[in-house]
This record gives sequence, structure tokens and C-alpha cells, in this order.
Amino acid sequence: MAYPFQLGFQDASSPIMEELLHFHDHTLMIVFLISSLVLYIISLMLTTKLTHTSTMDAQEVETIWTILPAIILIMIALPSLRILYMMDEINNPSLTVKTMGHQWYWSYEYTDYEDLSFDSYMIPTSDLNPGDLRLLEVDNRVVLPMELPIRMLISSEDVLHSWAVPSLGLKTDAIPGRLNQATLISTRPGLFYGQCSEICGSNHSFMPIVLEMAPLKHFESWSLSMI
Amino acid sequence: MLSRAAWSFVLRTGGLGARGTHSPGDAARSEGRMPPYTNCYAQRSYPMPDEPFCTELTAEQRALKEKEKGSWTQLSPAEKVALYRLQYRESFAEMNRRSNEWKTVMGSVFFFFGFTALLIWWQRVYVFPEKPITLTDEWKARQLQRVLDMKGNPVQGLAARWDYEKKQWKK
Repeated sequence: MAYPFQLGFQDASSPIMEELLHFHDHTLMIVFLISSLVLYIISLMLTTKLTHTSTMDAQEVETIWTILPAIILIMIALPSLRILYMMDEINNPSLTVKTMGHQWYWSYEYTDYEDLSFDSYMIPTSDLNPGDLRLLEVDNRVVLPMELPIRMLISSEDVLHSWAVPSLGLKTDAIPGRLNQATLISTRPGLFYGQCSEICGSNHSFMPIVLEMAPLKHFESWSLSMI
Repeated sequence: MLSRAAWSFVLRTGGLGARGTHSPGDAARSEGRMPPYTNCYAQRSYPMPDEPFCTELTAEQRALKEKEKGSWTQLSPAEKVALYRLQYRESFAEMNRRSNEWKTVMGSVFFFFGFTALLIWWQRVYVFPEKPITLTDEWKARQLQRVLDMKGNPVQGLAARWDYEKKQWKK
């Protein structure tokens, strides 16, 4: 989950998120270089008494500042597309979980073997246990086995929602009448928090997602207890 | 269609563009001339205007202009200054003088900062609701302990900075 005075992304708990962190570092470095160059040139422009009013053309520098940005954009686009295709690789999921967005809660269905489904509502601030995270805790967490690829099928029963878990690099829109697929894999056990990421009405900020990634044995006993 | 309109605009103004449209009488002037308002007096970015400052000369001034056509060593310093003042409205020193405008600007900026601060203070007292219980020190401490227990962000984030053996923040 996010922590106070955090500046960057949450730590990656999935391989795709690690790739995204590195890509962000690469792109942000390019952005910083361009911004500092532009700021430096602006400061040069503003701190001189010299004037020059008869510039007609500047073909050499025009060529450079057309070709160079094109090259920079290619250097950004290639890693980006690489990760985009990586997200769609075949990975043989061991489990399929369906999540439906409602106004204003998520419901989850584990129907591979038995029929297990439940709703997941946010715990209101007045009902929190001491030490809980405000606006992030839910009554029924999504328990999943860690270190296994899981297919998430995401849709909605009413309006647009979006199922997002930042530390796993996941954000998939929940569109009524459409099934979107995302692949979930966690390298670590623990709790991973996310929030609805598509405006869906008055309680859009109050329908969080909590994944509890646990060892397979724990997941199996939990799902037995929930049926 | 747009390119045809643009080309007919260029033909009509004889290559002068919007300048040619707005002051067609001066279209006889050559291309390098600046617009009329900069010809009245010099500016830092255009220090040598095309027209002299004083165009209507008294008899005395006309005599001086005749004398200027001869050798300049014959001119006294006062005459040179008089000729300069005929040609230019302000000297370089006068043209580049500083002003007190910055004091007015900064004063207004600080005034509005202060006014905004008053507005924000009023808002905090009369508009904002109660802070939630999760912002008390006790709750924040328990929350931090919980996040550390579940090793949230253990790679470079919060739990990465906690030393689990010594039970303190890493130095």
C-alpha cells in the first residue's frame, strides 16, 4: 500500500510491475534531461541584454531539433511496446477468478471447482479496527495463491468501473457487457491494496480492492471455509 | 482552398503581409523598414531608427545641419550634442534607465499572498470538517506497526527502511 511521503511507485510485487518501474525510470530520465535543457535555454534567453532582430532562417538547428526528438520518441516507444506485448504473453493460469463491479462494491466469483462468490464492501471509517487503513480496508478480502499465474476476468453489472492494484501493475476497466482479462501473479505473500479507477458515481472513492496473497495451502483451506 | 486564399493575400499586399494590408500607403517603403511606431524614437532592441527625431528644423538648426556636411572637427561639443538631440529622442543612458516598477509589482504580489493566506485561514476555521480518527498519533503508530508487520514495500519503500533485528529504523 502507499506510505506517507511516498514519492514514486509502490514496490513491485509482480514481474510486469518491475518492468514498468524500470521503464518509468528510463522515461523520467529522458523527461528530466529535456526539461533541464529547456530551462537552461530559457534562462540564457532571459539573462542577456543583446538583441538580434533580423533572423531569417536557421536550417541546421531546425534539422537537429526535428530529427533528435524523433529519435528520442523511438527510444521511448520501443521499451513501451515491449512491455505491452509482454503483458499479453501466454502464461497458463492455474486459476480463474471473476470480478464484477457494482455501484459501489466489487463481487468475486471462484467457479473453477465449486461455486464460491461473495461481495467485498469497504469498511466505513467508524467501524475500523485500530491500525487499519482508512478507505482501503474491506470486509471480504480476495484471497489468492501467491507465485501462481491467475486469470482475472473483469466486468461490471452497471456502470464503468476499473479494477486496479498498483503494486501488481494491474488496472483493467470493468465495462458492462464486456469481459476484460488480466493476468495476476504475485512474487510475495501479503496484502495488496487498490482502488476503483473509473468514475462511477458518488461512492467511487469508497470501493477498494484488497488482495490477500497466501501460500497455496492457506488458499485451499480458505476457499473450503468460504463455500 | 486555404492555400489559394493565402497566396492571393500575399499577391495583394505585395509580399508585405499584414503590414501591407494595414498601411497600404507606405507600401512604397522598402522591405527592411520597421513599422511606423518604432520610427518615432529609439528602443533598446532597435537603437538606430530610420527617421530622425526632429524633422521640422528652425533656421538655426538647418544651418547646423549644413555645417554638419563639412568636417566634423569644426563642430564644437555643444553643436555635436545639439545634432545628436536632433537625431535621437533619448541617449543610451536615458533609454536604458531603470525604473521603480518592480517595487509596485512585488508589493502587489505580496499583498495578494497575504490576502490569500487570510482566506485560507478563515476556511480552515469555519469550513473544514473534523479530522478523521485515523490521523491521531495513536492510530498512525498502530498503522505503521501493521504495515511493518505485513512487510509493505519491502524492496525500496517503507519496510525496507526498518531494521527487523534491531527493531528500529535503519541508519
